[in-house]
Amino acid sequence: MSESNIQAEPRTEFGKGAARRIRRADKVPAVLYGHGSDPIHVTLPGHDTMLALKHGGVNALLTLTVDGTEQLALPKQVQRDPIKGFLEHLDLLIVKKGEKVTVEIPVHLNGEAAPDALVVTEHSTITVEAEATHIPEYVEVSIEGAEVGTQVFVRDLEVPTGSTILADEDTLVINVTHAPTAEELEAELEEAEAEAGIERDEAEVEEGEAAEGAEGEAAEGESAEGEGDSEE
Amino acid sequence: MLMPRRVKHRKQHHPKRTGAAKGGTSLAFGDFGIQAVEGHYVTNRQIESARIAMTRHIKRGGKVWINIYPDRPLTKKPAETRMGSGKGSPEWWIANVKPGRVMFELSGVPEDIAREAMRRAMHKLPMKCKFVTREAGDF
Repeated sequence: MSESNIQAEPRTEFGKGAARRIRRADKVPAVLYGHGSDPIHVTLPGHDTMLALKHGGVNALLTLTVDGTEQLALPKQVQRDPIKGFLEHLDLLIVKKGEKVTVEIPVHLNGEAAPDALVVTEHSTITVEAEATHIPEYVEVSIEGAEVGTQVFVRDLEVPTGSTILADEDTLVINVTHAPTAEELEAELEEAEAEAGIERDEAEVEEGEAAEGAEGEAAEGESAEGEGDSEE
Repeated sequence: MLMPRRVKHRKQHHPKRTGAAKGGTSLAFGDFGIQAVEGHYVTNRQIESARIAMTRHIKRGGKVWINIYPDRPLTKKPAETRMGSGKGSPEWWIANVKPGRVMFELSGVPEDIAREAMRRAMHKLPMKCKFVTREAGDF
């Protein structure tokens, strides 16, 4: 996990008015706490903080310089504007080098499953305990050639040495299920269209059928482009 | 189509259209999603139409999640009726969608196919929407 240096300024005024003034100046209000110390209210530079979180992920280790003293911190909670996406507020947890912390790390899939299989990620993150300075970026799961019925549980995951998975080992992470056949899908969609009173243009239906016919003839069964759009 | 099996009150007031989404603003299940940029009432027909458009494009691969539910009835008075005589009869079922809400999610397909499928679905929805991905928006 990457480490970023950020210059933080102590914050003396609080409340929504002050917070909005800080955000207008392209800064982010934040609070720093942990290890039984009193919370420290700080202001972070908006662009640097955003880049640190973007490159380091949700568990980016930040080195904050507050009043000349350096402190390591992990983001505990990140509040973002739901539409624009800018940072509104950060909760930062003080950590020490070598200290074990509990964090959520994402699950990344590697490879492609069998042609008729549908891969469903039941849990996209896993709770692990790791050293604050050596948090794994992600857990990689290989689904190369996975057949229908393949299941990956927490006990099957491998994390780097020094990290421990805290999640229940019987928790299902990846489930490879059977993808619906073309006939099943078509029947389901036609029924849904009939119920909703959606009519498709004849030209579009013919185009769609032609594409499906071409697909059936192709040895690999690859999907043809130019599928007709449905219309109300 | 999505609609409640039974409701406590058959006719309700119009839901509030102000404010932003309080929850459901990030991807919970899939890798890609459609996020509302404006608030609007979305009917069950629009939801179903968007789902069908998306499913037709992704064909067999991929899984679709619908994160909104049309649980509010809207009424309408018959045409050429004088005012008064009570509230009209229930006509539509709607979901009150606020800006920021992730309405549909999709996984199991490459990004280019997901983008096109969701573009087609967005044309069936009454408000301005945007395409969101787990990698870009959920750090």
